[in-house]
Amino acid sequence: MKKLILYAVVGGIAFIIGYFVNYQLFSDRAPVQPINFSHKIHAGDNQIQCQYCHIYAERSRVSGVPNVKRCMGCHQIIKTDSPEIQKVASYWDKKEPIPWVKVYNLPDHVYFPHKRHVRAGLDCKNCHGDVATMARIEKVSSLQMGWCLSCHSKKEVKNGSDCWTCHK
Amino acid sequence: MSGFFERIAGKLKSYREPGYYTKLDHKWTMVIDLDKCNGCEACVVSCYAENNLPVVGKEECEKSRAFSWLRIERYVEGEYPDVKVKFIPVMCQHCMKAPCETGCPVYATYHNQDGLNVQVYNRCVGTFTCATYCTYDVRRFNWFTYKWPKPLEAQLNPDVSVREMGVMEKCTFCIQRIRAAKDKAKDEGKDVQDGDIKPACSQSCPTGAIYFGDLQDPNSVVAKLAKSPRRYRLLEELNADPSVIYLKRVMGDGNSSHE
Amino acid sequence: MKRRDFLKFIGIGGVGAGAGFVLGKVSKPPGAKLIPYLIPPEDIVPGVATWYASACTQCGAGCGTLVRVMEGRAKKIEGNPAHPVNRGGLCAMGQSSVQALYNPDRITKPLKRKGPRGSGDYTEITWDEALKTLAENLTELKSKGNSDKLHLLTSPLSGTLDKLVREFVSAFGSTNYSHYGLFQRKNLAFANLSAMGTASVPHYDIENTKYLLSFGADFSSTWVSPVNYSNGYGKMRQGAGERGKLVQVEPRLSLTGANADEWVPAKPGTEALLALAIANTIVEKGLAKDGGAWRGVLSRYKAKDVASICDVSVERIEAIAVEFAHTRPSLAIAGDSVSSYENGIAGAIAVNILNQVAGNIGVTVIPNGDDLGGGRRVDFSKKISTLIAAANADKVKALIVYGANPVFTTPKAAKLEDALSKVPFIASFSSFMDETTAQADLILPAHTSLEDWGDDFPDPGVGAPVASIIQPAVGPVFETKSLGDIFIELAKAVGGNAAGKITAPNFAEYLKSSWKELYSRNREMAAGTLGFEDFWNKTLQNGGWWGPPRKRTATVSARASEHLTGGPARFEGEEGQYPFYLIPYAQTAYMDGRGANLPWLQELPDPMTSVVWGTWVEINPKTAEKLGLKEGDMVNVESPFGKISAPVYLYPGIRPDTVAVPIGQGHSHYGRYAKGRGANPIEILPYNEDPRSGEAALNSTRVRITRGGSGERMVKMEGSTKELGRGIVQTVSTSEFKRMKKEGV
Repeated sequence: MKKLILYAVVGGIAFIIGYFVNYQLFSDRAPVQPINFSHKIHAGDNQIQCQYCHIYAERSRVSGVPNVKRCMGCHQIIKTDSPEIQKVASYWDKKEPIPWVKVYNLPDHVYFPHKRHVRAGLDCKNCHGDVATMARIEKVSSLQMGWCLSCHSKKEVKNGSDCWTCHK
Repeated sequence: MSGFFERIAGKLKSYREPGYYTKLDHKWTMVIDLDKCNGCEACVVSCYAENNLPVVGKEECEKSRAFSWLRIERYVEGEYPDVKVKFIPVMCQHCMKAPCETGCPVYATYHNQDGLNVQVYNRCVGTFTCATYCTYDVRRFNWFTYKWPKPLEAQLNPDVSVREMGVMEKCTFCIQRIRAAKDKAKDEGKDVQDGDIKPACSQSCPTGAIYFGDLQDPNSVVAKLAKSPRRYRLLEELNADPSVIYLKRVMGDGNSSHE
Repeated sequence: MKRRDFLKFIGIGGVGAGAGFVLGKVSKPPGAKLIPYLIPPEDIVPGVATWYASACTQCGAGCGTLVRVMEGRAKKIEGNPAHPVNRGGLCAMGQSSVQALYNPDRITKPLKRKGPRGSGDYTEITWDEALKTLAENLTELKSKGNSDKLHLLTSPLSGTLDKLVREFVSAFGSTNYSHYGLFQRKNLAFANLSAMGTASVPHYDIENTKYLLSFGADFSSTWVSPVNYSNGYGKMRQGAGERGKLVQVEPRLSLTGANADEWVPAKPGTEALLALAIANTIVEKGLAKDGGAWRGVLSRYKAKDVASICDVSVERIEAIAVEFAHTRPSLAIAGDSVSSYENGIAGAIAVNILNQVAGNIGVTVIPNGDDLGGGRRVDFSKKISTLIAAANADKVKALIVYGANPVFTTPKAAKLEDALSKVPFIASFSSFMDETTAQADLILPAHTSLEDWGDDFPDPGVGAPVASIIQPAVGPVFETKSLGDIFIELAKAVGGNAAGKITAPNFAEYLKSSWKELYSRNREMAAGTLGFEDFWNKTLQNGGWWGPPRKRTATVSARASEHLTGGPARFEGEEGQYPFYLIPYAQTAYMDGRGANLPWLQELPDPMTSVVWGTWVEINPKTAEKLGLKEGDMVNVESPFGKISAPVYLYPGIRPDTVAVPIGQGHSHYGRYAKGRGANPIEILPYNEDPRSGEAALNSTRVRITRGGSGERMVKMEGSTKELGRGIVQTVSTSEFKRMKKEGV
């Protein structure tokens, strides 16, 4: 009987460890995208500015995932023989948007304007990491509240720790 | 051990600088002219539209669970044919000495630097304490997670969270509009001007009875109206120091016309 | 530890960890998707709101709106602060139009009837099939020489849409295009036509009025142009000058009456006499502007004779008359409760005469001139009774309905449904399954105003030319079509004259060319613009065009007095058997019933009773005591024409000999929020309309109240209606306020 309890305890602990290992280490930091898009090629090798594609970052709350027309603007000519580009072209031909998988996701009760952060002179790298080296985009910040607040207090943002500055 | 507690206490203190509650950035204030208000309830619908208030249905209404953050109260005096009817719009009064704030065990309701009494939805655990402490009965509780039948949910305002079951909520003075106005002012490199912010109720009011502005700005419309001899505040004797100022209704003393 | 045990632990640990890992994987929500635009729309930035200027079509007032659109969805409707009609305000119903757009019970596709009429049993068909079916029916009609047996019944359309429909109908060869609505205020228009020469409602300058005498005009909630009048009311009370006074004459205290300084509960049906007695007193006392012309006509209405009929004392009539004549400027308005009788025109004319003798015409009553030529046309020969008679005589072979819901808003006594059953083909363009649409054989759902093009020339205006534009703020939510486009495509499908006449490719183009014409006619519009395109862009940006105010005046012609009747209005039902007057009234939220399908409006507490989601019967507490009724008791309201049941609300603001029931509930169709809720008081009315104008006589029957009946219980939001000394709504007296103003504090 005693042994049975012991087994249960060991099994339970292992279960919890397994759960958290999955949650922390395999937490879709870099999900597989419908198209194997490489920021390294675009932002790294070719040094395209972030806001060339993420056009709303300075104007809106959202930075904006590039529209398919913007992709095709270049790729009608460039590397049209690549199988990944042909995938993009097939979405364009079907007149369908590309179903990208979200990497940075905020819950509904958070108000985060890209605009204010970009206009405050913050570099995209601060939160998104050095995407210029990422072949597949990877989440580098936890986006937890403590992470936000640590930066807000370091930079002495006015009312930066007030709940309703960032919650809605 | 004591050093540990002191360190935590010190941290908590630094979070609130000295004078946090006395020196405000703004003191948002609403002035409602009861002599203009005709009780038409346009403001009530406006509030529903702006703040994603759910419609709960007849059964829930019967249990007083309707969500109107803003309601028009009506009082009737006298008997036929000498009936006098009076209307008053009542929403969260954003008390400077708010009873609700003292009650919350998790600090989900507090005063911010704009003089607003705010409710943090994601911190609220639904103890209902604030609603029982509230003098004005303006707090509303999410008894359920309310659903919007498709495609009605397309109307939901993305600037305001959709609250879930177990959360207390109330009028915010349309804080999302305050935020938007500040955002715009910052882009233009200036301070928020008087008249930049209009909460949904004030914007829609057909008679123009609801004014909104910063009481700390001596030139604002509300600062001027707040000096009116008709000024009073709701249940002022309770000393909650509300931020909503009412202007008394002018009501005939019978033979006033022949004076 | 034994080796066996160790291995066992390893095994259990491994299985546990594996299970935990899998559970963690499974329980995680699937990654949210980021869906980009294929091609980004030019004027949209995600996360930033776009505002479109448009106009509200929920009622006929024509308020200018701004629609807040985010990511292609309409979020909120606000009043356009620059629009001269509403100046930024917008009523509860107008703001709810977004819930009409996204209503879960909208008709999403064209429908063809499957079950019997009225069953609501339909099958979905394509637009091509629907238009083809409709066109075939019409061409068949035409080929048999029955063109004139096509009838079109719509809500009062105005502007270019009205022009297009008129063009279509006449090109097809029919003359039967009529407007219908419960609150069309045709009596008011008729009275103004015979008194001042224009068949429209003049602009009432409430803002600058110092003594407003309202005969049952509930301008705070539903009467004619509520937001415009409410705006004026606010300025009248607390504006630049002295505070204006409001006196309300009506048997049941309306929302406007609740704000009045004095309430005169005259007996139902006698308001016209009271107005004339006031006018006569003004003339007799030598206070009139041109008393001589009116002395003869008015001498029949002496205060002392009329007082007992109206149940208003002679002293009070005289006091009102003196104050009305002395306070400059004053204004009298004739609302629904004075013009909804069988001789409603007489009441409206009486009020015109009162304004004339007090010298208000041209001062606070500014006659409307349809400067821009787009205003609502009022055709007094087109009545619902003519349609019913024609249908019964087999003179209606095809009926097209849009916007109007006569099955709900005509009394059962009219036997409209019987008449409709004789019409072989009925088509509806409504986007909602209302009672009339449920009778249709074919439904071609049109856009709501937030998805469609259009324009509006508000009537009453504001003493200035106003033309509003309605533009699509969002793309169509369902497979509906623009109403104008339906007519244009129908014209093409029908061919012949109609196709030859209407050549525009779509309604948007038709509208634009119509405005081009307007622009070329109007020099004021052209001023300050660089040609039409520039003007058009500015118009779309501003929500329309409005010109400077115009001072117009008129003289009430003495000939108008021929429509006056000597006595009070007639009520059906003998007083002994049916002791109470019935006042069915338009309520803030539901109006003529159109608001009942919008959840915000259902849950909006009635301003006077705080009742939600239902119908109620307002009874004076004293009367209820006599009848042994308590609040919430279910009663039957029985007229000689039928019976409805609803719960009692004890209402001190109503005459003891009168009961009132709000209109708007009691739908048998019209979506999940409206269907099977409450009762419809129109059902038990006699089939009475003013024969000259065709306006329904709502106040024309007596009823008796008996305990019993079944129905939903009443839910009201109010707690106590008494302040109990808490000083919640504090007041200052008028004299105290005058002192405050004088001292400049």
